[in-house]
Amino acid sequence: MQLCWLKTDDGRLPSYNSRIKRTTKKRPARTGAPASLPGIAQKTDVRLGRIVRLLMDNATVVASGTKIAEEIGTSRSEVWRLVQQLRSLGVEIVGHPATGYRLQSAPDLLLPEILAPFVKGTIFGKNIHHYYKIGSTSAAAMEAAAAGAPEGTVFLAEQQTAGRGRGAHSWHSPQSTGIYCSVVLRPALPPSEALVLSLAAGLAVHAAVQEIDSRVQPDLKWPNDPLLDGKKFCGLLTEMNAEATRVRYIVLGIGLNVNQTSFPAELQPLATSLRLATGTEWSRMELCASLLKSLDREYRSLVESAGAHDSILRRFQERSSWIRGRQVRIEENGGGFDGVTEGLDPRGFLQVRTAQGLRTVLSGTVTAR
Amino acid sequence: MNQKELKELIEFLIEKDIAEFELERGDVKVRIKRGGEAHVSASEPDARFFAAHSAPPAAPVSVPAAKPAASTPPTKEAEPAVEEGLHAVRSPIVGTFYEAPSPGSPPFVKPGDVVEVGQLLCIVEAMKLMNEIESDVAGEVVKRLVANGQPIEYGQELFLIRPRA
Repeated sequence: MQLCWLKTDDGRLPSYNSRIKRTTKKRPARTGAPASLPGIAQKTDVRLGRIVRLLMDNATVVASGTKIAEEIGTSRSEVWRLVQQLRSLGVEIVGHPATGYRLQSAPDLLLPEILAPFVKGTIFGKNIHHYYKIGSTSAAAMEAAAAGAPEGTVFLAEQQTAGRGRGAHSWHSPQSTGIYCSVVLRPALPPSEALVLSLAAGLAVHAAVQEIDSRVQPDLKWPNDPLLDGKKFCGLLTEMNAEATRVRYIVLGIGLNVNQTSFPAELQPLATSLRLATGTEWSRMELCASLLKSLDREYRSLVESAGAHDSILRRFQERSSWIRGRQVRIEENGGGFDGVTEGLDPRGFLQVRTAQGLRTVLSGTVTAR
Repeated sequence: MNQKELKELIEFLIEKDIAEFELERGDVKVRIKRGGEAHVSASEPDARFFAAHSAPPAAPVSVPAAKPAASTPPTKEAEPAVEEGLHAVRSPIVGTFYEAPSPGSPPFVKPGDVVEVGQLLCIVEAMKLMNEIESDVAGEVVKRLVANGQPIEYGQELFLIRPRA
């Protein structure tokens, strides 16, 4: 079993291309979701974000229901309904239609209206889609990318019901405790040169965590598992659609355990969260913004600068304790072997010295031995 | 004009909803006309942006086939698509070949299947990057040339397809 991955309870194997599960309670499509994004489940009503933004901007005063209704172009009773909905999502709003509303504390929801200003100037600032509940952000992003979604499109969810991992693994995605994020990239690179993005994504997570708290020193297990205390706190899965010489699109999926205080028993030896590892609560909004910014830096540099490939390999080796002299077991499709790690090859593949000689790991899972 | 500037220019034109744009500066001439989609022509295009890359073939990988099971057909990577008129689908990356979306599920395609352009044939994984390989022709899958779980070289032939007449 791989770190932190979990098979679905019903024994059904989540596939790389499983379509998004439709939930029975689908909100009417009044959010202006493009018709080109099929299979969307519980897309966030954009007015919820506007209300929160409005209350945040008027944090010290009580905003009347009438004022809010005018600002977002709806009725007072609809504002009441939306406020109730926000409360059910954990946003602390005091007041009622007669008195007006005031935000008690800023909510840590990854609402596009609040996130967008933080990631302005990155490729991720323009198309942020947010869901309260979705099957998988990566499945949604793959569908959207196939339908032509532009580079930098972001899919965020408060909760995933079918979070995906590598192969037959799923990602444990409870509500509003982690960051479940998938982004669409369209690098003007041949597929073989885009592989290193997998390592770069791990570096981006590392940088984002350190930007928030430089005392936290994550390890990176090849190819891109960010670890704290030897346990995985983030899972990255990259899916690519390419022609022989050209990448059509890449979807990078990120599952980041932020404020989980416990995990299902079977995951406890393997998984941790930033909160469990550091003892403090983290702002998902702050971390998500930091993550998208560091991802933007890594990605732009890879696409635009010739030396980025080597820089990624060098920095990965610096930040990972797994690349040299580590006794490991490599689990590959159906088999495995033991050895000692001996650096990365020029393409970024892990080299392992075995009794039979030096072997190059293309896609296996690495575990400590 | 580099790729980034060109991209910004296109984004600007889209943002301002400008349908046609022409710029001449030295020996660089850019003309952009937008319909439903942006069409770009440039007299001196940035090769990195427009041209297909001639990626160097990947260095040989020293991994032996993960599981040489008895049922596994021998790899014919050195042998080109000998049979007349067959089209070979190749891997654009080095990686591990997967015939199915996840272990235990049925394969995406099997010999005898009729596939369309853009239909998913297999996945090649490298460093936890899952590369979906689609068919670039419509026709019948004649042969799968590699085994599930096998390491694949850059450009290696994966499937032979008889294009629809």
